[in-house]
Amino acid sequence: MRYRLLLAAVLSGLVLATGARAGELRFVSSAELNTLDPQKMSWLQDIRIAQCLFEPLVVYRLPAGTVEGGAASSWDISPDQATYTFHLRPGAHWSNGDPVTAHDFIYAWRRAMLPDLASDYSYLLFRIRGAQAFFDWRNKQLEAYASAQDHSPAAAQALWDRARRHFARTVGLEAPNPLTLVVHLEHPTPYFLELAAFCTFMPVDPASIARFISINPDTGMLQQDPLWTRPGNLVSNGPYVLDRWRFKRDIHLAVNPTYWDRAAVKNDGITQLTISEVLLSLIDYHRGDVQWLPDLPSTSPTVADLANAGRSDVHKVPMAGTYFYNFNCAPTLANGRRNPLADPRVRRALALTIDRRIIVTKITRLNQPIAYTFIPPGVIPGYSPPLPPQPANPVAEARKLLAEAGYPGGRNLTGLSILYNTEGGHLAIAQTIQANWHQALGVSVTLEGVEARMFSQRLRQHNFTISRAAWIGDYRDPTTFLDKFITGNGNNDAQYSNPAFDALMHQAELQPDQARRMAILEKAEALMLADQPIAPIFHYVFVEMYDPRKVQGLESGPWNIHRLEFVSVK
Amino acid sequence: MLRLIVSRLLQLPVILAVIFVVTFVLAWVIPGNPLDRSPDRRPPKAVQEAMLRQYNLDNPWTFATSYLKGIFLHGDLGPSLYYPDRRVDEVLAEGLPVSAALGVAALVLALIIGLAAGGIGALKPRSTWDFSSLLVALAGVSLPTFVTASVLLAVFAGLLSWVPIGGWDWPGWAVWTGAWWSGAGAMIGRMILPALALSLLPAAYIARLIRLGLAEVMSSDYIRTARAKGLSPRQVLMRHAMKVAFLPVLSFLGPAAASALTGSFVVEQVFSIPGVGRDFVAAVLNKDQFLILGLVLVYSTMLILFNLMVDLAYAWVDPRIEL
Repeated sequence: MRYRLLLAAVLSGLVLATGARAGELRFVSSAELNTLDPQKMSWLQDIRIAQCLFEPLVVYRLPAGTVEGGAASSWDISPDQATYTFHLRPGAHWSNGDPVTAHDFIYAWRRAMLPDLASDYSYLLFRIRGAQAFFDWRNKQLEAYASAQDHSPAAAQALWDRARRHFARTVGLEAPNPLTLVVHLEHPTPYFLELAAFCTFMPVDPASIARFISINPDTGMLQQDPLWTRPGNLVSNGPYVLDRWRFKRDIHLAVNPTYWDRAAVKNDGITQLTISEVLLSLIDYHRGDVQWLPDLPSTSPTVADLANAGRSDVHKVPMAGTYFYNFNCAPTLANGRRNPLADPRVRRALALTIDRRIIVTKITRLNQPIAYTFIPPGVIPGYSPPLPPQPANPVAEARKLLAEAGYPGGRNLTGLSILYNTEGGHLAIAQTIQANWHQALGVSVTLEGVEARMFSQRLRQHNFTISRAAWIGDYRDPTTFLDKFITGNGNNDAQYSNPAFDALMHQAELQPDQARRMAILEKAEALMLADQPIAPIFHYVFVEMYDPRKVQGLESGPWNIHRLEFVSVK
Repeated sequence: MLRLIVSRLLQLPVILAVIFVVTFVLAWVIPGNPLDRSPDRRPPKAVQEAMLRQYNLDNPWTFATSYLKGIFLHGDLGPSLYYPDRRVDEVLAEGLPVSAALGVAALVLALIIGLAAGGIGALKPRSTWDFSSLLVALAGVSLPTFVTASVLLAVFAGLLSWVPIGGWDWPGWAVWTGAWWSGAGAMIGRMILPALALSLLPAAYIARLIRLGLAEVMSSDYIRTARAKGLSPRQVLMRHAMKVAFLPVLSFLGPAAASALTGSFVVEQVFSIPGVGRDFVAAVLNKDQFLILGLVLVYSTMLILFNLMVDLAYAWVDPRIEL
């Protein structure tokens, strides 16, 4: 409320532009960059900048989202979809003048496959033949080293030499010549190009990183001095080079003079300011200091007001993500009690009686698309999420299901609570759903708000009955959503387990034909949705601000993919 | 006096050791995995474990020993877990001077405003001046900083556009290379609003302390003597009364200086100032164990040293106090 009043005061006194350099794109990130190491990053703001600095093998042509050549100019895919041969662009250079070679990719990917430097998305590389085995092998070697007596630098070096040889021998990556990269995969992976465009698969320049990597003789592990990502040290092959990066203030990217497609770059550079307060970034935008607010917080009432004000410079963009509720499907709960939610009829009754429309119109106020599937429709080419049939009278159907399950009128259905983390507007949604269930089914649930890390720990221990949840897809394939529901998957918080679902997922993994594969995955999602381990609520949208008359070529889509080099600024 | 300084400095490492142990234990028992990037998703278990091992976070004992080894052998406070591209010493080296510059500016403002308001109130008790200074002090104490900061920002940066809209810039080389005034001007422009927002609370305290202190002192015998020998009211106030009435302010200034120098979460957040105040809160929420330990150790050292300085200043202002 305080912001809305202030904002009204601010907007009524629009102030004129100051100091923005012509031809440069200036925008605000609401969070500071965590890392510029493409193999380590997982945050959206980091990935946005990485897409300016590092050019992966393939990139997306926007807005259509078709894949086109990046560092690779062409590629061949084996009929079984398990071997990809990339032909690198001759004449592509790093910003220090070195040519971009296949070895740079192998070097970068090896960094992510080493437990020594592994990070959130390392597992995406485990689709490469031998990668996971190498990761586990190296882990065992490090354990053996730690318990051995000899911790001399020579022993650590010998350990590392062994690892390098083992990697070259066992992991399915080859460079028959500097401009050819052959990738052998564990299984047919028709979506490998989508992965190859992701940040974890971006190359780094080995020569410029090598001096920041050392071997710790105590542990035998490689360790990396993060100074390599600083201006002057970081060498890039994308459209931009890192010119300045001031912690918690700003980052400036200059156009990369050695970039092969330098002529296509439409602006004179990029400046990103870090401003975490919405009010401050709005003032900055209205003063003309910045032209683009890419990630306005969707839980801010001010942002909802802006989005509903019918302004031509406020844009609502659908995202490849879903807000949903987890139902714990395990037969017994963490406290040893019998779990009433183990019965799919109870879960279905609860899912049927959530008033999603009220949530998106009155609580979030962004009118997000209502969700009945886990994967948002229209975000993955060739995949149409299977919409489950909705009964004409959901409440009556839900009451019937509940009665069948042995809880007529909600009687004896006790011990349920909604677990949520206290930041980010989850409370209001939980209260709405609590009221829905009470009114429609006579079921009382309690609300349990905890701090984010506690929340995460409770999920990990499966110590909940119902929890709020969110999932944002990483790459354009249904597996980025559906893998989560495979029995035993680390992110399967609902502890969903259906052998038929697992079998379909396995079948899809071996299917090289993309159309057939998609059909199998659609069947898998339909099966999972019918079992209702989750209640989808809405698909995410994000809100961004820019004036389309001043900023052109900014194509924001559901996957956080940007080609900021094609953005021109007036 | 020398004995006091030496004994306090000798106590310092002992106090720091106790603080380290307590902070270490508390930071360790914060629930959750410090490397979790989101409450909603986690990498596979083997990857999670490898990530923890990279920072020795798999075992409190190896973590503590490697951390202390880092400090004593290399003077290294370790990496930030949340910002893996930054080291804790760097976070401190970049943030502390910013917070400190802002804190000093705020303290100076607080002293000016507080002494003026308190002095006026005491000189003319029960006058309009007195009541308005009381009102200002009351507002300063009661209004939360996020309200005053947001209002200042919206009015002076948004509506009137007199000053830049937050953020931070050191005047940098401009100061040394001729464009001295423009650099300093820009710096003051950026600092004035956050410093003002940060100063209101201590200014209100100081005003009330001075007002009460002066009211008491002004009725004492030696002030009557000073008046009787014909000193002007201003001389009486400045030369005799203020010095004594200032003592409670002085003891307030020690911790106030330490907390002002180490930044304010709210003001830094509202004005987007890259100080360490925000890190204090964020480090705990992020379970950034290296950053928590580094911040607490540095802050404790500063607090102890400031308290020592206040004690010394006490003796200087009031010769009756023996050290």
